[in-house]
Amino acid sequence: MTLEVRDLSIRFGGVAAVTNMSLDVNAREIVGLIGPNGAGKTTFINCIAGVAQPDTGAASWNGRAILGLSPADLLRLGVARTFQSVVSLHDLTVLDLVKLGAAAHARRGRGFLSQFFGSDKAVDEEICESLLAPLNLVDVANSPIQTLSYGQRKSVDLARALACEPQLLYLDEPVAGLTFQEGLNMGAVIRSVRDRFGCSVVMVEHKMDVVMSTCDRIVVMAHGARIFEGTPAETQKDAEVRRVYLGDA
Amino acid sequence: MTKRSFLVALALAIGFAVVGFESGRFWAYLVYSVAIASIGALSLNILIGYCGQITFAQGALIGVGAYGAGIAGNAGWGAASLLVGAVCSALVSLLIGLPALRLRGLYFAISTLAAQFILNYLFKILQPLTNGVSGLVVKPLMLFGRPANDEQYAVICVGLLFLSWLVLTRIIQTNVGRAFLVVRESELVARGMGVDVARAKIQAFLLSGFFAGLCGGLIAFTSRLANPEAFEIGLSVDQTAMIIVGGLGSLGGSIIGAGFVTLLPEAIERLGELLPSADLISAFREMAFGILIILFLLLEPRGIVALARRIFARRGAAARTNLPDRASYGSGAISAQNGRKA
Repeated sequence: MTLEVRDLSIRFGGVAAVTNMSLDVNAREIVGLIGPNGAGKTTFINCIAGVAQPDTGAASWNGRAILGLSPADLLRLGVARTFQSVVSLHDLTVLDLVKLGAAAHARRGRGFLSQFFGSDKAVDEEICESLLAPLNLVDVANSPIQTLSYGQRKSVDLARALACEPQLLYLDEPVAGLTFQEGLNMGAVIRSVRDRFGCSVVMVEHKMDVVMSTCDRIVVMAHGARIFEGTPAETQKDAEVRRVYLGDA
Repeated sequence: MTKRSFLVALALAIGFAVVGFESGRFWAYLVYSVAIASIGALSLNILIGYCGQITFAQGALIGVGAYGAGIAGNAGWGAASLLVGAVCSALVSLLIGLPALRLRGLYFAISTLAAQFILNYLFKILQPLTNGVSGLVVKPLMLFGRPANDEQYAVICVGLLFLSWLVLTRIIQTNVGRAFLVVRESELVARGMGVDVARAKIQAFLLSGFFAGLCGGLIAFTSRLANPEAFEIGLSVDQTAMIIVGGLGSLGGSIIGAGFVTLLPEAIERLGELLPSADLISAFREMAFGILIILFLLLEPRGIVALARRIFARRGAAARTNLPDRASYGSGAISAQNGRKA
């Protein structure tokens, strides 16, 4: 149950967004991917999430090559992601979106006829209990997503990704745009998700307090490459990281 | 769908069927006209309001259903010819929709405009099948051994409208329908969520085409004629007006909009008969649609349904309204169409 990325590079025209980036993620590990704006974090995630096609490099999940697979293929392999900016999905309710997320999973997805003729009541209750309750979303389960706060939408996106029971979860800035308290809660939720589902997590994040308290290991990126890797404590002490990240001379 | 909305719809359907059956030919005509237009509007709303694929070929697609059902009906297929028309339209709709797998937004809309004109041209030149510009005379549907009359058509059309609404309401509440909504908002997000965007679009075109064809078949039988003029771009515009006035992304709204747009000319005509300046009124009739569409797009892009919801929300728990204001609710289906919105 490991993710192995080797020497991944991608260029957009003259811009080398990611250069020879390697990353290992072990089972049940939460890896934080940090770095200044433009460091290539989201591009890197996009490459291993089937959104962008890297120019060179290799990536495997449990020994299976995953570069070039579509997001739908990856979901079937147990790799799910959340999005940095949450699109306001008009008309869809929280339950709608989570059920759609669950459909990507073979076992949880229900046949069309059973959805057409059957009642969703049992499924709704199960989703509320197992996914929405831990994320404090039960009260808004039937609300359209655009009526929710930004923080709640982030939680909905996470619930949607969790609905297909991923074993590897990419979180693209799960805390960005949240209040301080919401951010801390989200960090706790991410750890509890890992504990309950036993999945590995790669999270891109800027908020250092959340990263420090949530991640087991931190990888620092700058200019498209890895410049440091270590525990949260080591990361905070490292001079190079401080220089790149905090901008002191 | 809640049990309540099902019962309300059933009661309305029975009510209108009774009105159509018991109140004479004119009322029967009004009832089946609205019911048929509603089936078309439901079909169009699936495609535009739910899946976000703007099309101008609805008129011609309804025409395909009309010719398909008419030809099958004349060949003695009876009520099954409605199904033939629906299937024909579904297949043609799929063809029209294929460019949507590549094109987005307005670019795709233009390709449907081309499809509208090509199909209408085909209606005119495929003389052996369609009888050309003079139109195909359709034998009436036989009911209990006699040609169906207007009152019976009213009941049939209301019944089929209810069934169509029921089926589409259920489909919208499955993952198939949810995928439509996500595709409408952002294809990029849809793909990232594991939604098969191409499949969702194909499903939307098939579904929408099927009900457009049903609408066309009913037009052929009730008017006993399928002629090219009836399925020109004007019909596409009328149908689009229905879903904009009624409410994009609302099945109930499609029916309200269809009633509004179908009955408005009748109402204006009645008004013209009462007033001395009949000419002025009939000129106004032409303008009324344009003004109406513009007003709705400006003031309430989500149509009568959203208007009603707002009013109820204000009257009800005014303090804690669960509905977003227009600014955020706004032109979802349309604005998502510019294709560049990632």
